[in-house]
Amino acid sequence: MTVPLIQIIILAGIIFSLGLICTLVWRSNVIMLLVGIEIMLNGAMLVFVGGSYRWGAPDGQIFALMIIAMTSAEVSLALAMVVYLQRRHKTVNVDDFHELKDQ
Amino acid sequence: MNLNELWTLLPLLILACGALVVLLLGAVEPGRHTTWTGVVCCCGAALWAVQTPPLVSVSFGMSDTPLVRSFILFFCLLAAAVLIVSLEYNEQRGIHGEEYPATILFVTFGMVAMAGATNLLVLFLGLETMTFGFYILVAIDLKRGTASEAGLKYLLLGAVSTGFLAFGLALLYFTSGTLESAALLKQCSGEPLAVLGWGFVLIGIAFKLSLVPAHFWTPDIYQGAPAPVVAFLSGGSKCATILFAVTLLSTIGNYSALRTPLLALALLSMILGNLAALLQKSIRRMLAYSSIAQMGYVALALLAGGAGGFKAALFYAFTYALMSLTAFGAIAVFERSGITDQLEDYRGGGCKEPFAAAVLALSMFALAGIPPTAGFTGKFMIFAAALRSGETAAAVIGILTAAASAYYYLRVVVNLYMLKPEKAGRIEISLAEKLVLSTAAILLVIFGLFPMLLDL
Repeated sequence: MTVPLIQIIILAGIIFSLGLICTLVWRSNVIMLLVGIEIMLNGAMLVFVGGSYRWGAPDGQIFALMIIAMTSAEVSLALAMVVYLQRRHKTVNVDDFHELKDQ
Repeated sequence: MNLNELWTLLPLLILACGALVVLLLGAVEPGRHTTWTGVVCCCGAALWAVQTPPLVSVSFGMSDTPLVRSFILFFCLLAAAVLIVSLEYNEQRGIHGEEYPATILFVTFGMVAMAGATNLLVLFLGLETMTFGFYILVAIDLKRGTASEAGLKYLLLGAVSTGFLAFGLALLYFTSGTLESAALLKQCSGEPLAVLGWGFVLIGIAFKLSLVPAHFWTPDIYQGAPAPVVAFLSGGSKCATILFAVTLLSTIGNYSALRTPLLALALLSMILGNLAALLQKSIRRMLAYSSIAQMGYVALALLAGGAGGFKAALFYAFTYALMSLTAFGAIAVFERSGITDQLEDYRGGGCKEPFAAAVLALSMFALAGIPPTAGFTGKFMIFAAALRSGETAAAVIGILTAAASAYYYLRVVVNLYMLKPEKAGRIEISLAEKLVLSTAAILLVIFGLFPMLLDL
């Protein structure tokens, strides 16, 4: 059984929106923000893999693999910063960071 | 890999290997010479980009046109200038270590890859390399809480915008079936999915250019990050993104579906950026809002497109990078004397530090668009292109906001020269710093008088 292409797009769209909603709703917690961003990128990867399947070409899959590599780098960077901020400010709540703002 | 391909890729290789050499050198013998090694690598890559290749070739998703080469040259020289400006600044702030010059080299690598990319994958990876480097650079001043806060904000918002960009590129790939940008852009014009993809890509670009409403990160990053990093972020990253946008938009030709969102972005950025800048007391936040407004002018040039708009946008990208280098280079010099970013602290800067004050004043004149600086010529080209393409209302609003912006730029000059300093104190400026800042300042005037020298 093959999955119709439009369903891939719809599923990816739903995943992307769920990730976006996650980043908007759990804005205060850095970890939840990172999870939301990962989910958004997963939606993008699904579209790439679907496109690869549609055109019978590997470039979309390569792109998806590169996104996986990129997100792992991004998460390691973000978590390093979270650990640093946790030590410094004893919190990972984004709302507690308000030294920089308009006067 | 044959010789021609190696020729095309050598600037990238020089930068990447240079960054690794700097890291290794720092492990063996740390010190200031790691920065100088970085400068030498940047200059080497720049020199290589000057010469014409034996054969214009496209390899590994990289092309080598004269336009690309001039941008590679520019990015490498900008990186070298930023490294020189940050030497004393970092020493004073206690940012030691080889990771700083190495990260600058990696960022330049990303910019160069982005400039030459003909393949969306290379383009995306170049963009991400650049952005990742900036995530680190913004937060590199670990001793200051504000720097890490700025880094966290930039990272989180940047990652969200990456999600949008990746999703947009995925939709474009899904509709066209190719990642080669030229073929892809020609194929997808009218399909609804492609238009949706364009919308997502535009959101990603708007974030990188800090156009309203994707501008929230800008003031905080400009305030929290080290001054030379801000110069590089504001000059290099935006310059590379403008080149990216121009390449995309000039290839699709007819982008009627994107006109309305682009117009909205341009108008909002010009109006909100300039109004918010009027209210700022901190020179860094003022420059951040001004950068939002300046990118609004660039968005207007992108909208004008074929009627000279792309040329104007590229010219402005160059001049804006020079303006941020001079402005934040001078701010870096001033901040070494221990002052904060409040505008009051710049009172009488002209007596305390005549050289840096002159450079800062010149860059303020250029940002305000006062002739004969390149800021004036660039704005003139943008508004002329906008008028030619029939965007009269937007051009008029742009000219009015640009006129209003003169107030807050000239306020800096007034503070520097017309008010008495509260406390005296001199700053030592090294010869290399003087050379870099004065070259950038002179170039601002030269490009203003002879814009044909920058015939892009």
